[in-house]
Amino acid sequence: MTAVATTQTFHDQIIGILPKLRIQALALTRNRAAAEDLVQDAVCNALSAQQSFIPGTNFPAWMHRILRNRFISNLRKRRDTTDIEDVPSSVFATEAPHEDRLALKELANAMTRLPADQREALVMVVVHGMSYEALAESTGCAVGTAKSRVFRARRQLESWLLGETKESAKAARGAAALLARRLSDSERDADHV
Amino acid sequence: MPKGKSSPPADKGADPSAPAHMKRPRKSEAAFDIWLQRGLHEMYDKVASEPIPDELLKLIEEDRKR
Repeated sequence: MTAVATTQTFHDQIIGILPKLRIQALALTRNRAAAEDLVQDAVCNALSAQQSFIPGTNFPAWMHRILRNRFISNLRKRRDTTDIEDVPSSVFATEAPHEDRLALKELANAMTRLPADQREALVMVVVHGMSYEALAESTGCAVGTAKSRVFRARRQLESWLLGETKESAKAARGAAALLARRLSDSERDADHV
Repeated sequence: MPKGKSSPPADKGADPSAPAHMKRPRKSEAAFDIWLQRGLHEMYDKVASEPIPDELLKLIEEDRKR
């Protein structure tokens, strides 16, 4: 809990965390519209349950858990009627240079194939910069489980993107190889300084 | 990120405290992790920076007034 958070009202804290909730929701649902609905549902739940939040405790973890629980609840209700596998390509539309677009598209596709808990963990750690402890608290699991989810997600993506022989995966291999060369160059330059 | 907590190895392979099978010192894997980090930011940062829907903000503000 930061000093800033303790001086904010409950509602300010909700507004402040909305961008991160949207990312978590998109990571879980893989669908833009479903993600927006999930965030709204989670906010409604949080507003209804605000009396149960203990000031001074970890608000982000409390909020992420509410969203996650709502996702699981929705999933159970809609399992037979809703297709959450469909991810419009526009969801991951980027302004990346042409040579990176194919690799990013492949990454986006691979992300949709990960289990939801691994995808959520990877995004919360890599994109949010969340610690493993915070991830564990936000997702209601042990720290070791949180670490394992992130590790498995990384290695699964690596396996899919660098291990496959599909033509489009070559772009990912090329991007990673180029980065590896640049890292080597940087290290060599640093050694000479 | 608070100091004293284990930092996720976003750009350096796996966590050093992880079990042996989870340690990934190879340079190619570190390069992939860096590329992955950049790719994920490319995909998700834009979503985070989009304006919050007015309907959602209104919902929160109405509750604040109660």
